[in-house]
Amino acid sequence: MSTASAGSSAASPDRFAAPPQPGTLGSTLAVAGFQIGRLLSRQRLLLAGLGAIFPAAVMLAVRRTAPAGLDRDLAVTMIFALVPEAVCMLGLLVTMCPAVADELERGTWVHVAVRPRGRRSLLLGTYLAAVAWTSTVAILAAALAVLAAGVARPLPLVVLFAGLVVLSTLGRAALFAVPAVVLPKRALVASVAVALTVEYLAGFIPAVVNQLTVSLRLRSLLVEWMGWRRQLPVEMRLLVDPAPAWVQAAAVVVLAVVLLVAAVKILESRQFPPSVEI
Amino acid sequence: MLTLSHVTKVFGSVIGVNDVTVEFGGGAHGLLGPNGAGKTTLLGLLTGQLRPTMGEVRVFGERPFANPRVLRRIGFCPAADLLERRATPREWVRYLLRLSGCTRRAAADQAARTLDRVGLGEACDRPLSTLSKGMRQRAKLAGAMAHEPDLLVLDEPFDGLDPVARHDLVGLVRQWAAAPDGAVGPRTLIVASHLLHEVEALRAGLAVILGGRLVASGTVGEIRDMVDTIPSEVRIRCDAPRRLAEAVCGGGAAESLRFEGDDLLVIATRQPRALAEDVARAAAGTRLAIAEMAAADRSLEGIFGRLVRLHRGVGP
Repeated sequence: MSTASAGSSAASPDRFAAPPQPGTLGSTLAVAGFQIGRLLSRQRLLLAGLGAIFPAAVMLAVRRTAPAGLDRDLAVTMIFALVPEAVCMLGLLVTMCPAVADELERGTWVHVAVRPRGRRSLLLGTYLAAVAWTSTVAILAAALAVLAAGVARPLPLVVLFAGLVVLSTLGRAALFAVPAVVLPKRALVASVAVALTVEYLAGFIPAVVNQLTVSLRLRSLLVEWMGWRRQLPVEMRLLVDPAPAWVQAAAVVVLAVVLLVAAVKILESRQFPPSVEI
Repeated sequence: MLTLSHVTKVFGSVIGVNDVTVEFGGGAHGLLGPNGAGKTTLLGLLTGQLRPTMGEVRVFGERPFANPRVLRRIGFCPAADLLERRATPREWVRYLLRLSGCTRRAAADQAARTLDRVGLGEACDRPLSTLSKGMRQRAKLAGAMAHEPDLLVLDEPFDGLDPVARHDLVGLVRQWAAAPDGAVGPRTLIVASHLLHEVEALRAGLAVILGGRLVASGTVGEIRDMVDTIPSEVRIRCDAPRRLAEAVCGGGAAESLRFEGDDLLVIATRQPRALAEDVARAAAGTRLAIAEMAAADRSLEGIFGRLVRLHRGVGP
């Protein structure tokens, strides 16, 4: 046993005036602002620019193969696969997955972890920044892709895709928050695995399990908003949910809240040993 | 104010801190130990980053882990370098202040004041990546103290600083601990270091940690006195160590001795000066050629080793 008293005088706790209790909202917004500042680097802006023009480039290439013009439904299906699915997923892999790993690498984790509610604010702030950044890039990508597809009445389609993009990023950023806190150093690999198994495997299984995926909700919303429900073949109807649009949107929000609460709880209980010591 | 009772922290098969019981009151305290001794783990426990595997940690009367009431009263400057690239010191300190609950305007004012205080006033708008390590260290320190904590914990804060910067920062943190701005009692400063003179310069109480165990505590003078009660080893290289041993044994300063190889004599003594005189007399009398005479454990590691032996109650 090691026993010692290194104190010159013991002070009672109530001798000190406590600073004001910090709120989570202010610190979450501070983290979000700081993370967006980090994303405004030349490299990240270039990456975002590539993400924004890639779907439009694909649509232009496809359009060249169909001189008579692209079928509207085909164009919408392609843009759906490219933007709310691919661009959003890739954007979130870059912005949400390294939520904790980046802080550990930069040596900033400790500074944040010793702040009151610092861990919670870090995760929620990074979530907000990831959603805002990826949504902006993806909405721009959708707008460019719709224009590149040359379909009639592009504005309603842009609005439709903006809605899908926001829901996609809200749900999937929360989904990626879990591997980001459970396996921070393998978050990217774990998130890809989660995306494949949850979103693209479980999401296409016509059973209760696909009710818990964002991909089912997005597909169902697309079908609902495009008025495709009646045209769908019977076997395809199994892959969409018949509930109204507000239920699909609410399901995504509820899923995101549940996943975020779980991720915050996990992060608040995590301990990262000081590697220099062990 | 800060109490650790029989605290053990284990990482897998590695013991970070082993059954430590210690209390820190107000004022400055130094945590001294070589690299890997468990200082950072101990600070991690005090600053609520780690939970003890066994035992209990109390800071301001409460468990610090994930406890916002305690964390808002703590300022921590870790040893690891800040690798944030694009942010400026002003942005960094403002960010940390916002995380501590300050409003945007209060954070801006407080950040400017603290950066001036640590001597970064002119460089506070340059990206951190363009600053020297000493300047980044000042930025880290500013981040730790800007929200006026009651407890400031600094892990190797003077590492990599030039002597002038070191002198400035020692003065700054000493002033911080001594002059509370409006607080009723003294604030608590804990500085971890592997350099005795750094802690000595802070005029702080000392706790010495080694191999995860707290091996001694007290003032610098008390620690020195304690070290002096343990026999230190003197290594003498000469052409006839056995003859030298015979001659030295008569002097009374040597407590024990042993031979290493053909030309090395190791003598344990509590009176190194008297032993040196005995050796000089013996060498002159027997015409021995002394090639080298050195204290084997005058290094900090040596002192730590002797404190461990004292702690375990074993001989030199």
